[in-house]
Amino acid sequence: MKLAKVLFVDDETRYAENMAKLLGNRGYRVVTANSGDQALQRLEEEDFDIIVLDLKMPGLDGIATLKEINERELLTETLILTGHGSIDTALEATKIGAFDYLTKPCEVQDLVDKIEEAWNKKSEVEQAERNEKIKKIIESPSAVFSMMKKPGSKKE
Amino acid sequence: MDTNQDSRDYRADNESMPERQASYRRLFRRFILYTMVCSVVPILLVGWAIKINYTNFSIDRMTRSFMSQIDHHRKVIQMFINECRSKLLLIAATHKMEDLVAGGKLGEVFEMINRDHMSITDLGVIDDQGNHLNYVGPYDLIDSNYSQALWFKEVMAEGIYISDMFMGFRQEPHFIVAVTRTEEGRKWILRATIDTDFFRSLVENVKIGRTGEVYLVNRDGIFQTSPRFNGKIMGKAIFEVPPRQPGVSIRVAPAVVSDGNQKIPSKIVCQTWLDEPNWMLMVQQDYKEAFDDVNHANKAALIFLYLSAAAILIVTILITRHMIAIIRRRDLEMDQLNRQLLQAGKMASIGELSAGVAHEINNPLAIVLTERQILLDAFQGRLDDDELEEQFLDSMNQIDIQVQRCKRITHNLLRFARRTESVIEPVDVNAFLQEVAELMEREARANGIAFVTDLDEDIPFINSDPSQLQQVFLNLITNAIDAQNQKMDGMIKITTRAEPGEKGLWLTIADTGSGISPENLSKIFDPFFTTKPVGKGTGLGLSICYSIIKRLGGKISVTSEVGQGTEFVIFLPEELPEGASGGVAEAETAHNFQ
Repeated sequence: MKLAKVLFVDDETRYAENMAKLLGNRGYRVVTANSGDQALQRLEEEDFDIIVLDLKMPGLDGIATLKEINERELLTETLILTGHGSIDTALEATKIGAFDYLTKPCEVQDLVDKIEEAWNKKSEVEQAERNEKIKKIIESPSAVFSMMKKPGSKKE
Repeated sequence: MDTNQDSRDYRADNESMPERQASYRRLFRRFILYTMVCSVVPILLVGWAIKINYTNFSIDRMTRSFMSQIDHHRKVIQMFINECRSKLLLIAATHKMEDLVAGGKLGEVFEMINRDHMSITDLGVIDDQGNHLNYVGPYDLIDSNYSQALWFKEVMAEGIYISDMFMGFRQEPHFIVAVTRTEEGRKWILRATIDTDFFRSLVENVKIGRTGEVYLVNRDGIFQTSPRFNGKIMGKAIFEVPPRQPGVSIRVAPAVVSDGNQKIPSKIVCQTWLDEPNWMLMVQQDYKEAFDDVNHANKAALIFLYLSAAAILIVTILITRHMIAIIRRRDLEMDQLNRQLLQAGKMASIGELSAGVAHEINNPLAIVLTERQILLDAFQGRLDDDELEEQFLDSMNQIDIQVQRCKRITHNLLRFARRTESVIEPVDVNAFLQEVAELMEREARANGIAFVTDLDEDIPFINSDPSQLQQVFLNLITNAIDAQNQKMDGMIKITTRAEPGEKGLWLTIADTGSGISPENLSKIFDPFFTTKPVGKGTGLGLSICYSIIKRLGGKISVTSEVGQGTEFVIFLPEELPEGASGGVAEAETAHNFQ
């Protein structure tokens, strides 16, 4: 079974590496980034199904990064990783499009469960969008052209 | 919590309190002084002016009254003497000597003169040799010869003579009036003795008050009538008789001591001279009595003034004291507010600090957990040796347990930090107390104190301010720990319960410490009251607790027994009273994170 491709963003390099290793052990393909900017760069380079985003980072922080990601209108789901004290910010993040949040430090299994949930949701959205497209093509074949141009699934 | 900070605060209080006390006293004195100056001084001035005016008026009236009295008396006496003289002149002019000497003619005349009142004692006819030719009267004087008498010489020379009082043949004070008539070249004399009793009654019967007297004195200072005090008729007056002068004079004679060591008080003396004889009429009265009314009125006015001043003083003191008390209370309230702000600021910075620390610790913890998981992933089930495997799993388990413990601590710290800002939100008091107890547990254990909780599961959530409640609980538990006095078997019991029908919950924090004496028990909620040693406490903890609980609409009370321990009982309402601080909107969102 094909597992999700994850971008793990955390300024603690060792933590990100360890998580990548652990998630890799469980069959996920994981790429790490140590800052918001780096994360956006990675997103330019390849597609990811799930982004795990730490809120508290120097430079571009979690919320700002999330906003940047939203602007790119990628077909991806974001999970927020946060310290206990910044739950307010985490909630804010879910309001502007993050799928859910987890408090640090967390069990790997909890993260895996959340990733699965997010992956399922992403698949549903993907499916729904595909259905929509098909519907539109059936209803007006002329829309196909414009649809192709629209950056609905990915950006060049 | 921060002893350094506390001791600094305490020193500041120690310095400022006496200073402030002194300033209150200064304010008190100044206020009273100003009020007294503004109210009592005008009263005294007015009183003084009225007194002077009234005294002058009284003296004036008194003087007039004395002068009119003496004038009246003078006229009466003068008229009487003049009348006697006129009568004699009339008789002498209308009768021949031989008519008066012979038969009963002299007796008839005598009776006619005395018809209205007995004003003449006797009547005699004397020839130019001093021989008594005829006599009507009670004495046997017919053979007397007056040729050597002073009065005889005088009357022979002057024609009319009025004598001073003298003893004469009859050895009794009396005075005479004598006139002469020249008949056929020979002078003869008609002489009358004035009735002494009648004359003296004219003068001596006049009584003025208790000490007033009227008397006559001749120019040699011999009393012509008996004064009421200090002397008798024919006696010598102790004072010098002034030279004759017209009109009436009035003066105040100073107090003197007479020869008999008798004190004669200061007197008002009024005097005037008769036209004839050369006698001085004196009217005098003790100064004190004469001015009794004035003195009385003055005294009454003075008492009234004193009473008014005293009343003003008392009222001023009462009002001032009341005002100072209000100012002092306001100051204390302001102090307390400042302390609370300071305390809140302190809590906020502690909160910030702990939040930072907790966050920083969370990251390494997270890494430790991942490292553990990596080890587990790598070695679990792959170790050949069962014993080694068991050891490995046990260690891994311990790492997890200890990390979870750290996590709990950081979570508590973060919650504590979050509660330093004031929000109104639903509070699960049981969970909240558990957390605070957990935070304080280490310190309690170090003092040998065990926490015992008896929490009622059915108590309601209350809408309140967790940051302030936290402060109250921390203060009370810190106090309870301090009250233990290093006794190693102490206990702090925290109880919650809900009474049916009440909208709120009851919470008890009891310790087994040293207790509070009854006289201190009533003061423990007062600001700056502390029994802790200098530098250990600000005396504000319980006062802050009290005001917080009040503000949150609750009640706090205390019972204590020396040596047994202290119990604080707090009631917290389910809903905050109207107007309590905090935003409801914030509270709604905050609820979701719990």
